[in-house]
This record gives sequence, C-alpha cells and structure tokens, in this order.
Amino acid sequence: MFQVSVKILLIFAVVSFSCTAKDLIQLPVEELAKESVTPIFERNDSVRNRNIVTEKRWEGNLFYGWALTEPIANVSKLGLSGYYHTTEDNAYGLIFSKNFSGVSQYAKQLKDQYSLDFTRAPMPESGLFLDYNWKAFYGKFSLSKHVVTNFHFFGSLAAGVTKYPHKTFPGVAIGLGQKFYIGKNSSFRFDFRVFANQAPIPFLKCEPGKYEGVKNSTTDSCNEPPPSYSDFKERITFSSVIDLGYSFLF
Amino acid sequence: MNHIIQKVNILIISFILLNFSLAYAAGKTKRKIITSKPGSVVRESGLKGQLSNALSLAQSGQYQPAAQALFNLVKRPELENERPQIKYILGKMLVEMKYSQVAAYQFVDVIRSGNNRYIKKAIEELSLVADSLGDDTLLNYAVSKVDVNDFPDKNKDMIYFRIGEIKLKNREYEDAANAFSKVTFGSSYNNQALYNRAMANLENNKIDNAIALFQQMIDHRSKSSVTDTNKVAAQMGLARSYYQKQEWDTAIDIYSQIPRDHFLWHDALFEQSWAMLRGARFRSALSNFQSLHSSYYEDFYIPESLLLRAIVYLYICKYDEMEKVLSLFEKTYEPVKIKIGSFLGNSSESMSYYQELEKKLSVKRQEDLLVGLKLPYMVLKNIAEEGDVRRSLSYLRRIQEEKNAIENSGGFRSSGLGQYSVRVLNTRIKNTKVLIGDMVKAHLQNMKDELQDLFEQASFIRYEMINGKKETLRKKIAGRDLPNTIDNQIDREFYIENGFEFYPFKGEFWLDEIGNYHYLGKQSCE
Repeated sequence: MFQVSVKILLIFAVVSFSCTAKDLIQLPVEELAKESVTPIFERNDSVRNRNIVTEKRWEGNLFYGWALTEPIANVSKLGLSGYYHTTEDNAYGLIFSKNFSGVSQYAKQLKDQYSLDFTRAPMPESGLFLDYNWKAFYGKFSLSKHVVTNFHFFGSLAAGVTKYPHKTFPGVAIGLGQKFYIGKNSSFRFDFRVFANQAPIPFLKCEPGKYEGVKNSTTDSCNEPPPSYSDFKERITFSSVIDLGYSFLF
Repeated sequence: MNHIIQKVNILIISFILLNFSLAYAAGKTKRKIITSKPGSVVRESGLKGQLSNALSLAQSGQYQPAAQALFNLVKRPELENERPQIKYILGKMLVEMKYSQVAAYQFVDVIRSGNNRYIKKAIEELSLVADSLGDDTLLNYAVSKVDVNDFPDKNKDMIYFRIGEIKLKNREYEDAANAFSKVTFGSSYNNQALYNRAMANLENNKIDNAIALFQQMIDHRSKSSVTDTNKVAAQMGLARSYYQKQEWDTAIDIYSQIPRDHFLWHDALFEQSWAMLRGARFRSALSNFQSLHSSYYEDFYIPESLLLRAIVYLYICKYDEMEKVLSLFEKTYEPVKIKIGSFLGNSSESMSYYQELEKKLSVKRQEDLLVGLKLPYMVLKNIAEEGDVRRSLSYLRRIQEEKNAIENSGGFRSSGLGQYSVRVLNTRIKNTKVLIGDMVKAHLQNMKDELQDLFEQASFIRYEMINGKKETLRKKIAGRDLPNTIDNQIDREFYIENGFEFYPFKGEFWLDEIGNYHYLGKQSCE
C-alpha cells in the first residue's frame, strides 16, 4: 500500500508547504509526548550515538584539592591524574597529588591565640593512588534550552600511599564524582572522596623535661626543643577531600 | 478439570475400542470361514490376543504400551482390513502422549485409506492436531476434506476460522469474511477471526465494514491493558482503514494512540509518517523521520522511509538535506542490494537460505559478525518477522520439541514406534526447513525487486533535486533573494508553554526521546 504511494507522491511536484512566512509554528496536541514509557528494541540501551565517547580512550586531569576536615595541615593540594577507560562504564587511573606546605588557617589561629605551634608536626607532602571509576550515569541537562551539557556521574575507589616527611602511609579512599562536559573532549571534573589512612597525630603535649627542655610555669611557652617526627603517635585518620579539576579526553 | 478431561477421553477411547472389538470379532468370524490353513488360524488367534491386550492397555489409560503394541500390529498383513481402525486408535494414543505430529501421520493414513467408518473421525482429529501444531500443510489437507456439518459443535469455531484463513490467503475475501463471521463470540478464535474478517473487508475495499469491525474489536477489549496485542492490532487496523479511506487526520490521530511500549509502535510511527505526508503535514512527518532514522533503527529494513524524507525535503526546497538523505539511502541500501543479489546468485539450495536465517536467530545485532552472516542483519531480521516465516518457525519449534521429548523418553525411544517417530519427525523437520528456506528465498527476491524499484525512484528524486537547485540558482542570479521565513525567528518560549522542556538536538539519540522529536527547520521555498 505504502510503496505505491511513493510514486504517487512524486507526481505531486508542486505542493505548497503548510507553513508560510507569517505562520506561527504550533505543535499539534497529538504529537506531544503523552507517555513516559519507552519503545521496545532488540537492544534497549538508553543512549546511542553518544556525544561523549570514553571507551578505549585516555584521559588527563589537572585538579586542585581541598581537604574539608583537615584541621592542622594546609588544606590545599594540586594534582594530576591519568585514566584509561576500558569501557563506557569503567575507568582505571593513577592520581598524584602534591600538598601545599605549611599549616591551615585554623592552625595559624591556634598559634596566635594559644601559642600552639603545629609547624613541628609532620604534614602530608604528597599522595599516589590507583583509582577505579565506575561510571554509573551518563546524562545531559540544559539550563538555557540553547546549550546542552553532557555529564558523567561516577563512583570511585582508590588505594595508595600518602607520603609524610618521615614516613609513607598506606590508605584507601572512596568517593563520588561528576564531570560536566564543555565539548566532546573537555570537561570539568568534581570529586568528593573520603580517605582513610594511618597518619601521625599532630597534637603533642609539651611536658617539661621530657624533651630535655625547661618550662617554668604554665604561662611560659614551651621551651622544649622541637620533637622528632617519631615522637608523634599514629592512628587511623579519616579526611574528606573535594577535588576540582579540568579533564581532557585524548 | 484436567482430571475430568482425561476421564472423558478414556470414555471416548473405550467407546471406540468397544466398537472396534465388535468389528474385529465380526471380521474374524468372516475370515474364519474362508481360512482353510490351520497355521493361519493359530496366527490369527495369537494376533487376537495381542490386539485384545493392546485395547485393554488403551482402555486402562496405559497409552505408551498400547501404542507400541498397536504399532507392532498395524503392519501385519493378516490385519489389513483392520488397519484404518488400528491406525486411528494409534493416532489417538499418540495424541494422548502429546506426540501430535506423529499422530497426525496416522490420521492422514486413515483418511487416505478411504475407510468410511473412520474417515470423518480421522479428519476431525487431524484438524485438531494440525491446529495445535500450526501446521499449514496438514491444516489445508484436513480442511479440504472436512464437512463442517460432521464436525462437533465445540470444534466448529476452529474449522470456520481455518477455512477463513485459507480463503483469505487465496484472496477469496467475501468467502473469507463469511467463514470468519461464523466463529462464535466466546470462542478463543474470536479475536483473530474478528481481525481477519475486518482485514478481508479491507482487502475487498469495504472500508466502512472494516472500520466497524475494528471498532467492535476495540470495544470488546476496552477493559484490557493498554498494550493488549489484540487491542493494539485492532487500533492499527482502524488507522489503516482510515488511511485507505484517505482520512489522513483521523488516521494520524489513531496511530498516535498506539502505545509506545508495544512492538507494533514502530510500524505505527512509519505508517503515521505516510499519513502525515499525504495530509501535507510535512513538519510532522519530518519529526517522525528524526526518530525513524536514528541509531535505534539501524537494524530495521525501511528503505522507503529515506526516500519519503527526501521527498519532503524536496517539497520544502531543502536540497542540501535531500542530498544527505539520498546519500544515506545509497550508502545503506546499495550494499544490501548487492549482498542480496550475490546471495541469490550463489545459493540455489533452499537449505542454505534456512541456515542463514537460523544463524541470525541465534544472535543479536553486533554479534552478527561472530557468526559470519552473508546477508545483512537488517534483511534477515525483517524476513524473520514476516508472518509466514514466523508461523513456520513456530511449527518447526514444536516438532523439534516433540522430537526432543521422544529422544528423552528412555525406553520408548528405542522401541519400534519410537524409532519410527524420530524418523518421521526428522523428515518433517528437514522438509519444514526446506519450506522456510523457500520462503526466505521468495522474500529475498521481493526485497531485491523492491530495492531495484526504489533505486530507480531515488534517481528520479535526485533529478528533481538537481532541477530545484538549478531553479534556485537561477533566481539568485536574477537577484531575487529568498524571503525571510518564520523559522528564522522561532520563539522557544512557546514550547515551554506546552509544559514540556525541549532540548536542541546535538547528534545523540536517547531512548526516552524516540518518538518525541519535533522538526523545527525552516522551509526554503520562495
């Protein structure tokens, strides 16, 4: 029935288009979406012809990290990471981060108000972690109705080491992340991770004589010489970190 | 319930066996008179014992040993006169054992023997087993022999339905509609009969009758779920009827009611595009084509839709888009045409066509390379969905299941009847595969012809495109610019007023967006 009609249509060489310059395009009601169900195909994958293809591609990432719950050490770090996307769902990578030196603003306040000096404590210097990303969702959103932004939402699982001046501690991290694509290759990447690792406790009480120094009264500042790093006790420490970065898919 | 049915069956069999025993006794008495050799009398008396045993086993519901005993007796020359009766009872035993195909052969033999006493019963039984198997050959054979008046009332619906089907296939639409109309309301064949009756009317150009029947079917199924196949098929039929009546808007409206999560929705989308085109709703048609030509339809064989899209672009003078669509048509379907032609040229055996289809059935898209398909996946998918192929494949599945059941039946498999049954089924399976192969070949030939035709049309469309381009250039050279069109100043706020959020299309296709695209391109005609 339909095949014959192709020929018939060709005969109508001159047909005016229903919409003229003065018309206003209106979408007929019967053409508007009425159902929330989706069509059935042999393969019902949710997206095809993706704008962002990550499978079998490398990704480089530069980021700034901000430790949310770090009281003493400097909360900032810079890092770079590289990932290889084995599939559209999985990626494996290596993260290297270099911590800023010095102490946090909070530690500075403690020194100003209570003469507590944390500069003597061992601070993290750098970290090296192997990271696995499971890309749970690929989606898109549009705020302006003119620009469409694709995104990835993923979970991450990392294991590696954090280096302190005197020692290197193993640790693990678990987190969630999101990437917002500004092109087919570029994206802004946000990661939130909770790290768990063995770390030195930066708090050490000044006890006169213990470190061969003298303290005459409680109001005196501690005249003890700086303790060695090995004097600091260690324990499992949890810290939350947000990374903000720029990623590029090669 | 099953228990009651079984009891009734046993009663029927007992009745037949009683009749048979009497007939056998009478026959034997006669033979005794003409028999002169004493050895013959001894043999017959031995056979009598065996037959009595077999009948007793049948009466007590021990179908397997009864069938085996009857099978051993059926070839005895001494029982030549009783052969139709023995075969009939053997068939009944096999039906009870759920070996319908092997049973069907026994009934065919009874019919061929021309024995008046059992022929009607055998036709009735054959009709029932052929119906349950979906075996068109046997059904045609049985229906050609049947006298509906001899059929028990409870099975008349089936026989009317099958008669209607045969008439419809033979394009005897009036007779087909009559046969379908005799199927009673409460019957399990009612929905299909109603649908086919409407189709027969539609084919006979009695569109209003068809519309009324489809509407009746929809009303019958009003309480069924939205995706009820009978209901959706009736809706499709209704939309097609309005299309045939050239009431485009009504047809479009009904096509829109087909639920998206039903497999018929894809056909509805394509056919609705036709209705839109015929109703000069080009923008709407292009909206549908955006879905139909998405990656989700890459394994659908719909060459015509690309040409339609090109024609719409021709109407709105979008020659560049036309060029793209025509190129896509050639890029996609030229290799298809070549592969079909080469396969048809190189394969003469029906079995090789079946084997190619079988390979397709074992894989899904993207796995096609693994099994080394010689024909494009979309072609085989299309053929596998054809009604005749689907039906024959379903029949093949049933007889293969029957064979598997016999293979796994232990002692029965090694018995004479078991070996005979496997032999019969193997032959049937082979013949059915050959038949399916022939169907595939015929469909491939049709596709080849269709593609040839469509490629010719593509050349005409391309000619129109070049002509159009030339005209536009001529006007430009003459200094007449194209007017500013509405689509240049689309206010997107309108779409927000509809309560929907519309995203600009950026090349990727989302499953939940299929069917929701709206074409907003501008027309370029002066």
